Parts: sequence; C-alpha cells; structure tokens
Amino acid sequence: MRFWTVVLRHACRNMLLTWKSQCMTLFTVSLSVLIFSFFYLIYANALHIGAELDDDLRLVVYLDEDPSPPLQEEYRHKILKFDQVDHIEFISRELAYKRFEQQLGDNTDVLTGVPTDFLPASIEVYPVRTLDSLSRIKRFSDYLQTLPGVLKVQYGKEWIERFYAFIQLMRVIILLSGSLLIMTTTFMVAHTIRLTLFARQHELELLRLVGATNHYIRMPFLLEGALQGGIGASCGMGALLVLYNWITLQFAGPATITLFPFAFFQWTEVLAIIAIATLLCVVGSFSAIRRFLHL
Amino acid sequence: MNSETSPPSIMIDLIKVSKVYPPDVQAISDISLTVAQGEIVFLTGMSGAGKTTLLRLISRMERPTKGMVDVAGIDVIKLSPRNIHLLRRKVGMAYQDFKLLPERTVADNIAIAMEVVYRPRSFIERRTRELLEQLDLTRKYHTRAGELSRGEQQRVAIARAVANSPEIILADEPTGNLDAETTGRVMALFERLNRKGATLLIATHDRSLFQDTAHRVIELRFGRIRSPQPEVPEDNGEPAEEMAASFQETEQ
Repeated sequence: MRFWTVVLRHACRNMLLTWKSQCMTLFTVSLSVLIFSFFYLIYANALHIGAELDDDLRLVVYLDEDPSPPLQEEYRHKILKFDQVDHIEFISRELAYKRFEQQLGDNTDVLTGVPTDFLPASIEVYPVRTLDSLSRIKRFSDYLQTLPGVLKVQYGKEWIERFYAFIQLMRVIILLSGSLLIMTTTFMVAHTIRLTLFARQHELELLRLVGATNHYIRMPFLLEGALQGGIGASCGMGALLVLYNWITLQFAGPATITLFPFAFFQWTEVLAIIAIATLLCVVGSFSAIRRFLHL
Repeated sequence: MNSETSPPSIMIDLIKVSKVYPPDVQAISDISLTVAQGEIVFLTGMSGAGKTTLLRLISRMERPTKGMVDVAGIDVIKLSPRNIHLLRRKVGMAYQDFKLLPERTVADNIAIAMEVVYRPRSFIERRTRELLEQLDLTRKYHTRAGELSRGEQQRVAIARAVANSPEIILADEPTGNLDAETTGRVMALFERLNRKGATLLIATHDRSLFQDTAHRVIELRFGRIRSPQPEVPEDNGEPAEEMAASFQETEQ
C-alpha cells in the first residue's frame, strides 16, 4: 500500500513537471481513440445491418424446365458441395404460380387466362449468413450460371456489391486508424516519458544513491504511461458518446437511423478499448524506460 | 549477491584496492583498510590524495580496478546493479558536492532518503524536524535547497545522509563550508550517531577535526596510506595485513 502511494505521488509529480507535454499526449491519445472507435462503431453497426439484410439474401436460379428427381439430386449435389451454402429449395412452375398468386392478394383476377406454368421453375439458394458469403456471391453466381439447364441467376447484385465495398473501405479505415492509435499512443507516450526522464535526471541519480530499488524508480513512469492511456482513452470514449448522441439526435425521425439500428458500444467493449489503449501507453512508457533510463 | 565474507564486527574491509581512471590516472594504489563496527576514522590528505575515490569505492559509486571491497558483510564487487540498494541502504553518504535537488525544499531533500525505504509520513516529518533542529536549520524547513548558502546546503546533505540512521556514514569534507560553531554541531551529531552504533569514515583536510582526537586518523598521499593504521583486535577478526596477504596469495 505504502509503495503504491509513493509511486502514485511520484507519477503525479512527473506529470506536473512536464504538464504541457502531458496535455499534448492526452489530447493525441484521446483523438486517436476517438477516430478509431468512431470508425469501429460504424463498422460494428454495418456488420449488424449486413447480418439483418442477410436474412433476405438468396440466389434464385431460373431453370428452363422442372427438373426431374435425378436432375434435382444432381443440382443438390453440385450446389451443396459449397461450404457457403446453407440450404436450397426447388420451386416448381406450379409452386411459383401459387406464390405469385398469393403475392397478388385481391388482384388475382389479372391472372385470368394465364397458364399456370407460365413462370419458370427455379432453385432458391440460401447462403450461410456471414459477411464473407457476400463477397463470394458473385463468383458463386457465375458458377451457378454454368450448370446445365440454367436460364438466369438473380440476386440483389447491386446493393450487395456496394455494401461489400463499403465494408471493405471500413476495414481499411479501421486498420489505418488502429495503426494511428498504436503509433500515437506508443510514440507520444514514449516521447513524453523521455522528457520526464530528462527533467528528473538528477533526482533519479540521487534516488539510486540513497538506496531506491530499480522497481521504485521505474514504476512511476509505467504508472504515468498507464494514466496517460487510461485518461486519454476515457476522454476519447466520452467524446465518442457525445458524438453518438448528437448523431442520433440529428437523424432522429424518418431518416436512416430509424431504418437501420445505430447502437453504441456495450460497456464491455468500451472497457476493452480503454484497456487496450492503456496497455499500449504502458508499452510506450516501457520502451522509453528501457532506452533512456540506465540504472 | 551479498556474501558474508567477513565477521560482523568488521564493517569496512578493503584489501589491496587500486583504482585507475581512464586513460591511466592512478587514483589509489594497493590500499588495505579495515574499519571495525562503531569506529570513527578520519581520512585525511591533500586534494587529489584519493579520499573521495576511496569513499566512492565503498559506496559502490565506482568499481575498483583491482582488489576486494567488503562493506557491512556485502561483497561490493560482486554486487549486481539490481541489488545495489542493499548496500546503499546500509551506507549514508554526505557528498562533497552535496547532490541536493535545488528546486525542492530542504524537507523534501531530507525526506527522499526515508521515502525510498517506505518510512511513514509522520516518521519522516518528525525525523526531518529533529535533524534540522540539531543542525540549526529549523527555519529552513520549507526553503528551497537552491536558495541556501553553501554551509546550509552542506548541513542538509549531512542530514539526508544520516536520516535513516545507517550502519555506516561516509562524510566527504563535511565541514568544508562551515564555521567553527556549526562544525561543532555537525561533529556532535556524528558523535551521537556513533554512540548509537554507527561506523563513521570522515574524509577531511580540516586538521581541527582530528587534532586532539582519540579516533584513528589515516593519511592518504598520492593514493597510498601514509600513516600505519592500528590493527583491529584479534578477537574482532583477521587483521587487515593478514587478510591482505591471503588475498594476494589467492590472486597469485
């Protein structure tokens, strides 16, 4: 207990000694965490939206005629050999007509005189509900097109491609902002700790002479890094919460937010981001100690 | 780590110790010295005689080029940097250049030695006030060390060295900037600590300190001991010369 009191006092003294650099570091860490978590929040929500849209996702393979049972078996075998396929359904011309009739509801009279086999038979292919399946759907669709007796393959091509491109873009942005977070936290913290080390050089030498352990000398600097990370990341997450509330207020009503759910992180996710940022800052602090503190 | 190489009654044991500073400055040559527990030893000699180097070797601020240094049962040469605090907590040193933190208060400068051994705040404050009173610095408690005169700084350095009541006190020119009265106060403090069991090694060229003393006085000249030092009584352990001889044999 006494040890941690002393360490905390030294860490606070260090931070006061180089308060200008400390403020800069806190600001940079906060901003990095804000940028990273903002894009991550969008990405997480996009994944959620993607999962919901996936529920309606299917490929419809139109056939030139109703497949015979052996041919159905062959189609089943050729389609189900793909891991990405969840299940398939054969829709006969008759069943297609019935479905269409149901969809028309009270307007079924428009079908008067239309033969019940005017709609083509089809196979409905339901892919596994993962985002990766989206990226493979185009290739899978090309494959299905090559099967015998296939007239046409249909799926929500445009939105899938755009959505997938968006997800890819988000991944790149998250990767870049994640790298920015790592660089700023480790380098900025390392730089600030280095300044503190120089500012307290005489005191550190003296501490050594009066019998301080290496642990006693190093720990305040590690704690300083942890405080910078913890406080900076908490500020960043706080700013994100404010931004999130502002966005939800701005887009409240009949706009996109109501169409697509836009939720904030769970508390566990918030704590995980703060913990990771803190850990990165401790790593930055540790690297500065290793390089510049010679005991 | 710390090996019990000498009997507990011998606090400082130097055998055939030499120190050469690069490129080839011979600071001390083949010094053998034994200081028993509770002894006060004055180390005298001209500037550059090797007094400070000897104290720095004992406190492991320097490593000898040759020889053996054993302090309070710790083999100083084998002591790893990680465990150096074990030695430094047994040895309090008042430096010739004071080594004070000028931006910090007098109280902070003294407290630093007690903080590293996790003394409670109340103890630190009480002990600091007590030492400042004994050294006539009571009013300087909150003064920044950089604002003190050299004589006052010297006393603060002494207070810090003795704050933890260490087993060994090394004082490098402790009265160099002090008037006769304050010198008397410092020496009285040293005597009090000595009566409580502390071993003192005082490097000085102030003859008035040891003129009429009953304590041992060792003169250094050109890095060697000039005056013969009396042997430590047989029952206290092996005499220094014998140990030196045995060390020499081991080396050969």
